[in-house]
Amino acid sequence: MNPSSAAPPSSTPAPPVFEEFFELGQESVSPFLKIDSRKWGANLTLKASIAAAFLLVGSFVLSRFPVTEPLSYILLVLVYFLAGIPSLIESVEELSDFDINIDILMTLAAFSSVFIGSGLEGGLLLVLFAFSGAMEDAVTAKAKTALSSLHKLSPTLATVVQEDGNLIERSVKDISIGTTILIKAGQVVPLDGIVIEGISSVNLVHLTGENLPIRMQEGDTVPAGGRNLEGALTLRVTLTSADSTLSKIINLVTQAQESRPVLQRWFDKLSRGYALTIISLSALFAITLPFFLDIPWRGVEGSIYRAVAFLIAASPCALIIAIPIAYLSAVSACAKKGILLKGGITLDALASCQAVSFDKTGTLTTGNLACEGIEVLEGDGDIDKALGVAYAMEKNAVHPIARAILNYVQSRNIPQVQIKDFKSIPGYGLEATLNTLGQTEPVYIGNPDYILSKLPASQKAVLMDRTAQIQESGRLLAVLLIGKIVYLLSFEDTLRPGIQDTIAALKKRRWDVVMLTGDHEASARRIANEVGIENYHADLKPEDKLRYVTNLSKEKGLAMIGDGINDAPALARATVGICMGKVGSGAAVDAADIVLLHDSIDLLDWLIEQAKKTQTIVRQNVGLAVGAILIASIPALGGFVPLWLAVVMHEGGTVLVGLNALRLLRT
Amino acid sequence: METPHPPHFKDKDAIGHVAEVQAKGMISSTEIHGTEMPGTLAAATDAAKDTAVMLLLLWASSSFFIHTFTSEFQFLFVFSIGWLLWKFGRSAWLGWSHLERLHRIVNQEKWEIEHHREQEREELKVLYNAKGFSGKLLDDVVDVLMADGDRLLRVMVQEELGLSIECYDHPLKQGIGAAIGCFLTMLASFLCFYAFPAYGLLIGSLASIAGSSFLAAKYEQNRTVPAIIWNVGIGLLAGSFVYFFLEFLRYFSLTHS
Repeated sequence: MNPSSAAPPSSTPAPPVFEEFFELGQESVSPFLKIDSRKWGANLTLKASIAAAFLLVGSFVLSRFPVTEPLSYILLVLVYFLAGIPSLIESVEELSDFDINIDILMTLAAFSSVFIGSGLEGGLLLVLFAFSGAMEDAVTAKAKTALSSLHKLSPTLATVVQEDGNLIERSVKDISIGTTILIKAGQVVPLDGIVIEGISSVNLVHLTGENLPIRMQEGDTVPAGGRNLEGALTLRVTLTSADSTLSKIINLVTQAQESRPVLQRWFDKLSRGYALTIISLSALFAITLPFFLDIPWRGVEGSIYRAVAFLIAASPCALIIAIPIAYLSAVSACAKKGILLKGGITLDALASCQAVSFDKTGTLTTGNLACEGIEVLEGDGDIDKALGVAYAMEKNAVHPIARAILNYVQSRNIPQVQIKDFKSIPGYGLEATLNTLGQTEPVYIGNPDYILSKLPASQKAVLMDRTAQIQESGRLLAVLLIGKIVYLLSFEDTLRPGIQDTIAALKKRRWDVVMLTGDHEASARRIANEVGIENYHADLKPEDKLRYVTNLSKEKGLAMIGDGINDAPALARATVGICMGKVGSGAAVDAADIVLLHDSIDLLDWLIEQAKKTQTIVRQNVGLAVGAILIASIPALGGFVPLWLAVVMHEGGTVLVGLNALRLLRT
Repeated sequence: METPHPPHFKDKDAIGHVAEVQAKGMISSTEIHGTEMPGTLAAATDAAKDTAVMLLLLWASSSFFIHTFTSEFQFLFVFSIGWLLWKFGRSAWLGWSHLERLHRIVNQEKWEIEHHREQEREELKVLYNAKGFSGKLLDDVVDVLMADGDRLLRVMVQEELGLSIECYDHPLKQGIGAAIGCFLTMLASFLCFYAFPAYGLLIGSLASIAGSSFLAAKYEQNRTVPAIIWNVGIGLLAGSFVYFFLEFLRYFSLTHS
């Protein structure tokens, strides 16, 4: 195979300019704007809201003095310009779609207030509304990045082996089933395929969460998304990019995210009904009050004035602030402890959970392999010499087991050993020669299959028995052969410190604790026993995990804790997805609702308590807000209290809910 | 036998289609503050000239209705602040409007690439054939370009649509540029007006026109002297017309009342 002259130069590839824009769809990443100019577009709605808030305060201060009152109107106009125009555009567009909702009610109330001389109140409504919108934008932007890292993992190009043996890069979209592609060492597999040439180790950690490379040789199926570690592999493509393993995971995450926001839909539905009711009532009062109360339509005592007052007083100012401010306080309190919440509403969902499921590797365990020890298979051996040889061979290898051996040997101060003729056998192991006292002997280290081929029949049987025993106990194995002496090194995943206490605390809350893992049965059983989980399911594919999570979420409300890409669909589908921040893959972090930035799983119990407290305060706030609306709107309609008093009562409710929410910061 | 035109080309052949969309792209890229000088500077020099002419016209006409210096100064000053807000907002809005259009065009092109890959391949062949590529080399070039979606989109946006990437200032920055242009003209004009009530505003506004014309011409590497003289001349023409026509109307109304 010869690299064709048509292959693009790889030395200076142009950085992608459109990718991020299409993923996020935001002005701050527009490919047309100069790079140094893009920051101007970041968080514009939030910046406008803050500016409007300051201008409103200025307007209020200036309105207190007769001489500066006209100037206060200038500032007020600016408030309406910054905070009102976006609402007005949104409302008009929604109205043109016959979609009446709380946005329209707020905008109508705010702009109507100008006509009854309460422009400041209207400005306050708009500013609060703009803040609420800015927060929503921030959450939406975060959600849009959810699939970004998954797409980044997925290569867009593949090296196609043409019939004449030349290589050419093509878009994965243009590659059909049956095409031959080449995967070089270090590359991510772009499409699912069957190996037709070559042997190598492929790390599927991003797909399965298990940090142990798998040997791939002729006839093996390699999934897209795996990283080829050592040798080159030639694959015959078996699935197009639309059907690849990675695409399926991306689709699962998309579906899971789309099916989730039940609470949001409930709020939308409620707000639509509320808005329609208030607007209809206001219109009804404006038209009919003169027939019942002997008042005119126009003038300060007229029905139109009272209807507008009712509209303003009934606008859900306190309601709009009641829920976000409580969540905001809770989010701040969590952030102080290194817990990132994507939208405070997830706390509400967490409080409703009755079950928790853990992924194994990287969640219950740290994901790092530790060497448990070394043993001689038969007869006498020199352990120190064996460790020295293992160190010398593995120090240049890229493999989780190699790292575990290096750490183990370094901690034991073993003298250095010189080896020669070092060679890596992709997918199998390493070989070299050792010179001891003038005698040269071959040395090998690798998986049991590799060493078995070099042993006499009598030793083979012993090694196979011992291998089966070790693997049955859920541990991993590397075999070292020096001359005729066989050494076995065993490894296991290390438990996360304090995990047993966390599990015990969850059980004390009477939560169901489940472990869901893609790892094999023996390993899952060992970890489950060690941490105290009775209910576990092993050998699960992402879609199996998703099924369990979906069922548990429906039955009891489930908090799912995981870290790998294979967990991403389940994290997105669970009632609440919690991800380990340090070890977690980008996709899992994006798909989750809560990220434990320092992997502090021991804070889980505190987090659940905080969620319950937040829920209580949200309920209190909603009660207070509804009360404030009733107290302000009904007397305003009846003309029993002057408008200014109704407004004071109305805003008093806003202040009260704010203060109540701030209690959450004290934790 | 004549090959039927694919629907993507809308009854045109590939080169006809390329020519049409290229023209569309060119129009898109030249409507607002162009790419030859930074958008902020273009907005500032444009706004400076507009402000100077606006002040000149108002000054030329206000002397017929306002008879004290203080009143005239206040009127022109307050009016020009309102004008500054308008220029700031208008310039930013034009920038956003332009950006929205560019985003729509690029989204449409992305859709074309995803849904009409063969036609896009044909367009690329036409474009690169015109650049001198042919035979296997042309096929290889097109294969390489088609391989990377982001690169393909960049090529189509730049070469087919004639749009420029990473060259526009943010609309808000353009708006601020316009506001600064207005402010500097106001500063120059009102200082001159205050110092020389008789002709200060005329001198200040013409100096602003001259200064902003010089800056724009210098940046665009055009001849500076004609740029200054033409722009000052146009300003004077407009101002003189207003002054003398009002003078005529006053005389006419006096003689016929």
